[in-house]
Amino acid sequence: MEATGKPSGAEITAGLKLCQLGQEVGVPTGARIVSQGEAPEFFYVIQSGRVRVFRETADRIQTDLTELGAGAYFGEVALVTGQLRSASVEALEATTLIKVSKEEFDRLLDQNPQLARHIIQQLASWLVAGDQRLETEVVHQVKLRQLSWFDYVLMLGLSLVLSLVVNIYNDNRIPLIHGWGDKNVIPEIGLDQALQMYQKNQAIFVDARKSAFFSQQHIKGASNLPTILFDLMFPMFQFTLTQTEGDKDKTLVVYGGTFSRRMDLDLARLLKHKGLEHVVVLKDYSGWPKVFPLREKAAATPGSLDLGLAGLLEWLPVSIFLLILIPPIRRSPYLSVVCRVLLAAIFISFALSKIMRPAVFALNVVDYNLTPAWGVNLWSLALPWAELVVGLFLLLGIRTRAAATLIGAMNVIFIVGLVNAILHNMPINCGCVGEVGEPVNWWKVMKNTGMLVMCIQIFLYDRFMVLDRGGFILRDRKI
Amino acid sequence: MKKDILKLGAVLGLIMVGLVLGGCGESRSEFAGTYKSMEPFGGKDYIDLDLQENGKGTWVLAGKTVEFTWVVNAGKIFIYTKPGAILVVTPSEGGKMLSVDTTGDWHPGCPPGSCVNFRRVKDGG
Repeated sequence: MEATGKPSGAEITAGLKLCQLGQEVGVPTGARIVSQGEAPEFFYVIQSGRVRVFRETADRIQTDLTELGAGAYFGEVALVTGQLRSASVEALEATTLIKVSKEEFDRLLDQNPQLARHIIQQLASWLVAGDQRLETEVVHQVKLRQLSWFDYVLMLGLSLVLSLVVNIYNDNRIPLIHGWGDKNVIPEIGLDQALQMYQKNQAIFVDARKSAFFSQQHIKGASNLPTILFDLMFPMFQFTLTQTEGDKDKTLVVYGGTFSRRMDLDLARLLKHKGLEHVVVLKDYSGWPKVFPLREKAAATPGSLDLGLAGLLEWLPVSIFLLILIPPIRRSPYLSVVCRVLLAAIFISFALSKIMRPAVFALNVVDYNLTPAWGVNLWSLALPWAELVVGLFLLLGIRTRAAATLIGAMNVIFIVGLVNAILHNMPINCGCVGEVGEPVNWWKVMKNTGMLVMCIQIFLYDRFMVLDRGGFILRDRKI
Repeated sequence: MKKDILKLGAVLGLIMVGLVLGGCGESRSEFAGTYKSMEPFGGKDYIDLDLQENGKGTWVLAGKTVEFTWVVNAGKIFIYTKPGAILVVTPSEGGKMLSVDTTGDWHPGCPPGSCVNFRRVKDGG
């Protein structure tokens, strides 16, 4: 704190006959000598030992200002300014002090212009240093809250690269674009022509969708051969064809119902590959319910399997959502840390449940019926890695605002998908963490909404335990 | 600061190890073995189901073999086929009987018409 080339506080106090002025007192380690906010009564000179000078906020966050040793003095600021104590002082070890009263201190200043000048110089240097600290802190806070495209490119790029590299070495790898380069050798027929064949009993209609979709609604008289279970079910299907007189010569009209055409086109190709000659596919994948007679049944709610820890974790966002309704807690940076750890745990566990079996997740994506054919596999590969990478960034406190916006964006997409599935009464599994037995319902939407609120809280108030451009910030900052 | 980062790294490592170990599933040894369907599938032929302890398995029907992988989780067997389908299998009688839900979903009690029951014919994979 002392200016170079000028007498130090210790040199100045050494020249004073303090023993004639104040009163010598000893304080044990940890004793509070001066408390922030109290009225000033004494000036102190340290004879031996060390003290810590610090400020403390109402919620007990302490900021260390300095440490002082033998010969240094403190307590002069409040005496000079006449204001309350601006900081607290605590003994770091057994310390001996000379305690000088305000009257004696005033007399001391009158008689020692060198001491008075030194105090003025020190106060002025503190002002300058304070301005510099303020500027550093403001720059730090600004940088902490800055968002940059680099953050997003870093996280999404890392996710994409990892997903592509791991897919190469994964035993369960999937092509980046399903059916890319496959020649479509399956003829397509229009709804009118198919209806005529149906009415004349010239065709067998084969539903390529999962059995839950088939049970909910299908063309009356159609067979169900789910594409995903083709290998297991084809022998029985073939057997059924051969058993019915005349069926083996009929045209097989394959239909599905998904935007990606994943089921119907694939099944038609597989049937053709098995040597069945007369295979066609319905051109209008979604038009058949309006044209053909249907057999319909209320959608059965998928059963729910115990998801274990991940299932329990998912409930916590709902509790956090309730906590956020309380204003003082809403703004707490400690809540941000809790939200970060919780979201990270949820998203990392979600990701790990999907990463190694992208084909399973791709079928979940197909079920939602929102992704085009070329995007299904890319999305299925990249999303779990994005969940993992962004979850790790949140946990480690790196670029947390950018990470929170990405997780928030994912939650918005999930909520749209879930609401769409609920409104269209789709008999599907969520595919969020469990692979089967995870129903889509409003509770799931609520949990995702809770997570979205947590992301907003992190975006607005996160500032502890973060590794930002200015360094790592823990609870206490030493200035 | 280095200590803080090390602590954070240690916590992260523990979380990752826990999650990875948690995702490995349970021991397969109890259910490894060869099974045969109790009735002809679709009235055609019996299905031979072989569950090997290394997590691989085969489903043989009418001379056609389909390979898959399988894990045990929460006392149930999950069969994963190459195209991405999952068959949930509910064991009973200590693994001597298996009920396979062929809908590709999980239903409490395995739905009649889509449920294939198997009996163990040989232990071990």
